[in-house]
Amino acid sequence: MNPSSATPPAVRVENLTVRRRRAVLLDSLDLTADRGVHGLLGPNGAGKTTLLRVLATVAAPSSGTVELLGRTPSSPSARTAVRRRLGYLPQQFGHYPRFTVRELVAHLAWLKEVPAARVPAAVERAVDRVGLADLLDRRMRTLSGGQVRRVGIAQAIVNDPELLVLDEPTAGLDPEHRAEFRALLRELGREAAVLVATHHVDDVAAACDRVTVLERGRRVVECTPAELAAAAGAETGGDDHGGGPAERGYTGVLHRFRRDGAVTPVPSPADAGATGTTETEGASA
Amino acid sequence: MSRPADPSAAHGLRRVPGPRHVHARDADAYAGGGLPEADAWRLEKHLESCGECALLVSDAVRATSVAPVLADLRAALLAAVPVAPAEERPPAAPAAEPARPAGPGRTAPARHAPRRPRPRLRLRRPVAGSARTGPAARAGRAAAASFGAVPALRAAWAASLAVAAVAAVVSARLAGFDGARPLLLAVAPLLPVAGVAVSYGRADPMHETVAATPSGGLRLLLVRTAGVLAVCVPLLTAAGLLLPDGVGGPGAAAWLLPGLALTVATLLLGSFTGCAAASAATSALWLLGLACLGAPSVPGAAAAPGGSAAVLRTALETSLGTVLSGPGAQAAWAACGAVCAVLLAARRTAFDRLERM
Repeated sequence: MNPSSATPPAVRVENLTVRRRRAVLLDSLDLTADRGVHGLLGPNGAGKTTLLRVLATVAAPSSGTVELLGRTPSSPSARTAVRRRLGYLPQQFGHYPRFTVRELVAHLAWLKEVPAARVPAAVERAVDRVGLADLLDRRMRTLSGGQVRRVGIAQAIVNDPELLVLDEPTAGLDPEHRAEFRALLRELGREAAVLVATHHVDDVAAACDRVTVLERGRRVVECTPAELAAAAGAETGGDDHGGGPAERGYTGVLHRFRRDGAVTPVPSPADAGATGTTETEGASA
Repeated sequence: MSRPADPSAAHGLRRVPGPRHVHARDADAYAGGGLPEADAWRLEKHLESCGECALLVSDAVRATSVAPVLADLRAALLAAVPVAPAEERPPAAPAAEPARPAGPGRTAPARHAPRRPRPRLRLRRPVAGSARTGPAARAGRAAAASFGAVPALRAAWAASLAVAAVAAVVSARLAGFDGARPLLLAVAPLLPVAGVAVSYGRADPMHETVAATPSGGLRLLLVRTAGVLAVCVPLLTAAGLLLPDGVGGPGAAAWLLPGLALTVATLLLGSFTGCAAASAATSALWLLGLACLGAPSVPGAAAAPGGSAAVLRTALETSLGTVLSGPGAQAAWAACGAVCAVLLAARRTAFDRLERM
């Protein structure tokens, strides 16, 4: 994390609330992310996908401020400008079964306005980075679920985005490829602000610079993976089901949040914004 | 790309060196230019018909120092001939692999030029460099991929289109069904409208991914609509031309302007409601209009002999005659389409609407 003073952060979210009918999906959430890998953790229904969809300029916030790459994506022109520098892997990455990998990624490169002359090279590079170079001309329908997921990652990075939004990129990947993917994540984090939602706490511990834990649309804690792991020692409420320190820290923090409605951050350095919201639980139900 | 570490060894051992197949030793000698001329000719003759040996020889040539030169030559050739490589791209090689110098430049002397073991090579080993060569090929490829999305999306739609065209022709030509022309004209404008519905928006499996791209709005919708029309218009017009001549009545191309106008109207309506609902609405309006215009002729037709099929046909011909026949009707459709197009241009940002949760 080294936000330069001149440029605005890649993602600045303040007081973001998203409602669907009566339900509150995100409840006055604050989040700032800059270059680096930012992990989003949380149980199902915590609001990870909703947050990422807002950050990917697909869904509209009900209220609050969203600023992406220095722009507010509320007008179509600003949205288009942001989208040129955006990569997005949705949770449901549909595909066209009869396309080859190359065609599918090239199609997305075209949609992202990558100059036509650069498309073939960009496609090959992106597919190579996710380790599918030898499947470039295979039809999508012949790929396994994990391979489709990796094509999804390839299309997200084909335009060398400055803001990369990945919703469960490791779902369906086998352990070997997850390890490779973490390395890729770290690499991507050097050039872009990467936001990753995942259920694999290990991925976060291995690849992320910052972690935000969400629960019921609210932020439980924002810290570094090391601090999350340190919470494993501080918190005693977590189920003792094994798992790495990060995972125990995560369950411990969640447990505490559910019980107390707030989590004071772990022995945190001078990160003033890391405190969880202090509202009482149940407001969002 | 799993290949034997030393292909020539593999081939050489497997092939009992009979008089016909090329021995690895000879392949190397040939590649190095050290094979006596008579042997070289015999070898080349054999290569014309034997992919395995051709592969063996090309591997041998690839191992020599001329490989980079050949790669460049191939790249230049591909750049000069942009169409051929775009047709059928062979399976890809890892980016790290050097470009395979296929084609005329494979063997250095000019006389070897025609002996290229092409098909086999293409199957086995792709040309890594080809994708990066030739700006025209690249651009063509990108465009093909984007336009290619159109047919790939909708097997069901393409099938119904084909069925409509073929059924009309077959029923009229073979079964002597004289209602084929009015039926085809009544259905034809609906097919592009349906094509739009199934190719954009929620019907698109990549909808969510596409929605986050800068071109995912009206631009993509127009490209896909163009693809739909590019399939529909020739096919349905050809089907209409293949039908037996009707007695008077609108011609085979009479549906074109209404079809276009309804399609643009669908796009315009779709900027408010989404394409699927818009498509349903315009289709319903078209059918309702035909029904209303045809209804007055029903009593007269019912009095005449011929049963209910004849009544329907008379009604359909009446309404189609009103809607399609004559410069006035066609001009009205053209005007309608133009107005919708202008309004659509004004609504161009509406397709990049953020989803309200």
